[in-house]
Amino acid sequence: MNRRKPNGRAKEPAVPPVAPVRETSRASARARPGLRAWREQHVQSFYSSLGRLAARPWASTLTLLVMSLALTLPLLLWLLLDNARALGGNLDDARAISVFLKADLDPAAAQAFAASLRTRGDVAQVTLKTPEQGLQEFRNQSGFADALKVLQTNPLPTVLIVTPKIDALAKSVPPPLVAELERDASVNLVQYDALWRQRLDAILEFSTRAAAALAILLALAALLVVGNTVRLDILSRADEITVVQLLGANNAFVRRPFLYGGLCYGVVSGLLALLMIGIVELVLAHPLSELTASYDHRFAVHGLSAAQALALIATSAVLGWLGAWLATTRHLALGQPQ
Amino acid sequence: MIRFEQVSKRYPSGQEALGDLSFELDAGEMAFVAGHSGAGKSTLLRLIALMDRPTRGQVTVNGQNLGQTKRRGIPQLRRGIGMVFQDHRLLMDRSVFDNVALPLRIAGVAREEIGKRVRAALDKVGLLAREASAPVTLSTGEQQRVGIARAIVAKPPVLIADEPTGNLDPMLSAEIMALFAEFQQVGTTVLVASHDLALIKRMHKRVLVLDHGRLIDDFRPAARA
Repeated sequence: MNRRKPNGRAKEPAVPPVAPVRETSRASARARPGLRAWREQHVQSFYSSLGRLAARPWASTLTLLVMSLALTLPLLLWLLLDNARALGGNLDDARAISVFLKADLDPAAAQAFAASLRTRGDVAQVTLKTPEQGLQEFRNQSGFADALKVLQTNPLPTVLIVTPKIDALAKSVPPPLVAELERDASVNLVQYDALWRQRLDAILEFSTRAAAALAILLALAALLVVGNTVRLDILSRADEITVVQLLGANNAFVRRPFLYGGLCYGVVSGLLALLMIGIVELVLAHPLSELTASYDHRFAVHGLSAAQALALIATSAVLGWLGAWLATTRHLALGQPQ
Repeated sequence: MIRFEQVSKRYPSGQEALGDLSFELDAGEMAFVAGHSGAGKSTLLRLIALMDRPTRGQVTVNGQNLGQTKRRGIPQLRRGIGMVFQDHRLLMDRSVFDNVALPLRIAGVAREEIGKRVRAALDKVGLLAREASAPVTLSTGEQQRVGIARAIVAKPPVLIADEPTGNLDPMLSAEIMALFAEFQQVGTTVLVASHDLALIKRMHKRVLVLDHGRLIDDFRPAARA
């Protein structure tokens, strides 16, 4: 309590008695100075927390590095998966069935087979590629032009690109058409992209889950790392905490500089993680551009967006703050009667 | 201002630090708690600041029944009590000014106000010129005076001191005690624990004498302001 005796203060300098903020600030004319004092308390806590970080440069640096690595690892994994997904294209693109006809089938028979397929109810479109067309395509795309010159004969078979109707696909993947084609005497091989697409999707889905689990575990590790650093900081300041508590500091006052410290750890770790991701992207940029060039630039590699970068820093800041909160709460629970 | 009613304190170790202690200190009164070491002087002060709770009995400080003060209420209670320790407990990594300003910052006093009040407090203990110094550069007596300035800067109605002269030579001790008497003159309730009987006698104040946790004498000097 800060009740004051009304009399007997004549010797004090002529300043009005200032009661603690909580008692007078609400609904009275003192609200503003109270608010300003509150802000001053926060500014001071912030600077003193910076001082504390600087006072233990090694411990602080290690904490920052461990925490930023814990953030970088799952994020890189996630970026990789995200890019892999874009690489796959969408399912519709992959619904076409490539039918490799037997090499000894003559062109007229191939045309007749294509025509018979076109009449089916579950087929939307059939495109025929002659061996000559296939060789030409191969020359243009794969950069094997020189190697192909060595060939005496064209080894490529006639290929039919059969696109099933979408409603046929909706019933089952793969559609029964695929099995029928596989049984046909004139067919050598049926390659159905949707099938491996499906498998890739399953793999990506699994990997994304695994990455999420990893991210949660590593976030927990980051939390504990900050918590432990703040705990050590608290222990080295146990005497100081006792003193300010004896002087009437409430838990919020004791906790505040440590919470700001945790927040600083979080924000700086987030920035460091961004930097690390940036460095990894820079290192990979050259080999990646070669890789995409070899795929005719049919896919683009993307990094983190600005919103994602901000989300990373925010997450990291929250983790730091939470770690500090846990550590201070634990310490404050001890040490006071009842 | 401070009232003990049949207060007992037994530590978990089984040691009884205070037994059936009753006394009352009026507002603006100054008293000493005397007794050999281990008589319960520190325990008595600890109960006033709610650093400990009594096993039995009731302690009232500043009209507030401490038995009903919840944990959340402890900081508010302590803001009304100035505390001086034998080892002064200054924060060595901060200047004299910042040490004295601490109670005001804790109470959320505005900055200009803090400057004025800290200088007034330092002036009172005669250390105005040392406000920018680090506590380690001060003598023991000066450090104790900084501790006193910190205890009174927020103008608490109650001032308690545990062996404030324990580490000081007799002349410095007398100076410090005179300082406490000055705070009493301006209306503060002052309770000082000390084992220095010679010094206590010279102060002509009320003396509560403890022995093995029991109040064996409540000496009040004959009329003297």
